[in-house]
Amino acid sequence: MRARWKSLLLGCGLLLGMAHSLAADGLLELPPLQTAVTDLTQTLSADEQAALNQKLSQFSQQSGSQVAVLLVPSTQPEEISQFGIRLAEAWKIGREKQDDGVIIIVAKNDRKMRIEVGYGLEGAIPDAIAKRIISEQISPAFKQGQFYQGLNLATDSLIKLIQGEQLPAPTQKQRQPHADDWLSMLPILMFAAIIGGAIFKGMLGDFPGSLVTGGLLGGLAGWLGATALIMGFIGLAAFVFTLAMGGRGGAGTYGPYPGGLGGYSGGSRGPDIFSGGGGGFGGGGASGDW
Amino acid sequence: MRRLFNLLLLVASLSLTGCGYNQFQSLDEETKANWSEVLNQYQRRADLVPNLVSTVKGYASHEEKVLTEVTAARAKVGSMQVTPELLNDPEAFAKFQAAQGQLTSALSRLMVVSENYPNLKADASFRDLQAQLEGTENRVTVARNRYIEAVKQYNVAVRSFPNNLTAMMFGYQAKPSFTVENEKAISTAPKVDFGDNK
Repeated sequence: MRARWKSLLLGCGLLLGMAHSLAADGLLELPPLQTAVTDLTQTLSADEQAALNQKLSQFSQQSGSQVAVLLVPSTQPEEISQFGIRLAEAWKIGREKQDDGVIIIVAKNDRKMRIEVGYGLEGAIPDAIAKRIISEQISPAFKQGQFYQGLNLATDSLIKLIQGEQLPAPTQKQRQPHADDWLSMLPILMFAAIIGGAIFKGMLGDFPGSLVTGGLLGGLAGWLGATALIMGFIGLAAFVFTLAMGGRGGAGTYGPYPGGLGGYSGGSRGPDIFSGGGGGFGGGGASGDW
Repeated sequence: MRRLFNLLLLVASLSLTGCGYNQFQSLDEETKANWSEVLNQYQRRADLVPNLVSTVKGYASHEEKVLTEVTAARAKVGSMQVTPELLNDPEAFAKFQAAQGQLTSALSRLMVVSENYPNLKADASFRDLQAQLEGTENRVTVARNRYIEAVKQYNVAVRSFPNNLTAMMFGYQAKPSFTVENEKAISTAPKVDFGDNK
């Protein structure tokens, strides 16, 4: 019995420990991914940064694959490769199934760099090639203090390599982020209509109950950010649906609602915000120094 | 009678969920998937060895000791039977670890030795092989860490109450993981000489 309590405590302790280690393990805090180029060392001028950013986000929009650059002062106490995989797991550069992301990491004071290659690009950018990009393009430029030139050359080569790989075209980001809110809530609204409808109909009778349900649902949609027109539509639909719903509190037929609207695809993003698409990394790539 | 049976079935399945049985299934699968990735990367490393050895031989043929060590370690790794049951057998797991660890240290000694041969270092194919080896070692590290993480979750699930009762009932045991000691041997730089272990 005692052993059991012990194991329970141990289990709890381990869980707590895991949660704790995320916050205070002395590792460098990962910077958020906002633009393709993140410079925490103030090495690149605003113009250089903008030029690289433009090139990389344009590439991301055209091909779907993503290349990101991070400059940090140091990755200590971690090795750059440990830091690299941690960063890659957090940023998730590249698309989810294709895993087609690449991150160039520069630790300026450590004089170390790394190209972290996503699973899907390990064929297009084998370790040996990544190593050559580092030793033949980045290193020589960095040695002369030409950080922008080195990164520019390297991103050009990487883009060329990625373009040589057969990858699916980027998916269109069709919806505006605004309209998504209530759309994603549609299944919940539907559910609310079924439950609420049954309750109100039971309480108030068929017609008034449906009316109340419709009004409430319309209001709810409006609160979630739907336009007046859509609010009206949802309200009306809920009213008709509730009225048509068989018997009091009966299992409703899912009649008037169009099916298949639940498939809300996450990760809609504005045109100029650079964010990862769920790409996976397995430690491929190469490290080097200068 | 039939309703009672249905009810019992429902209660049974619910309690299975509640006691972690389903959780074991998914965590068990996850550790297996992570383990295959570890094996995959170890295999990739083993595949690199013959090429590497022959390239080094071309420039440093008299470094016989290091070269034979690598070849022997590679042969030992290759001769091991790696079955899924390995995961549930701590002894076999330890053996497997030791063999891979030996290859790791032999390879790093080879890399240290190759530093002394400028012509070798300048050889393009050697450099490519070196980059591949480095990359593969890094992948091994990543795969091992993911395996360790998955095993940790699985073991916590299996050992904590009340899941441990379910685990006992269905024979789910805690899985072995890479030990810290071994972890160190693998992640430390190649300066350490392990001398004559076997």
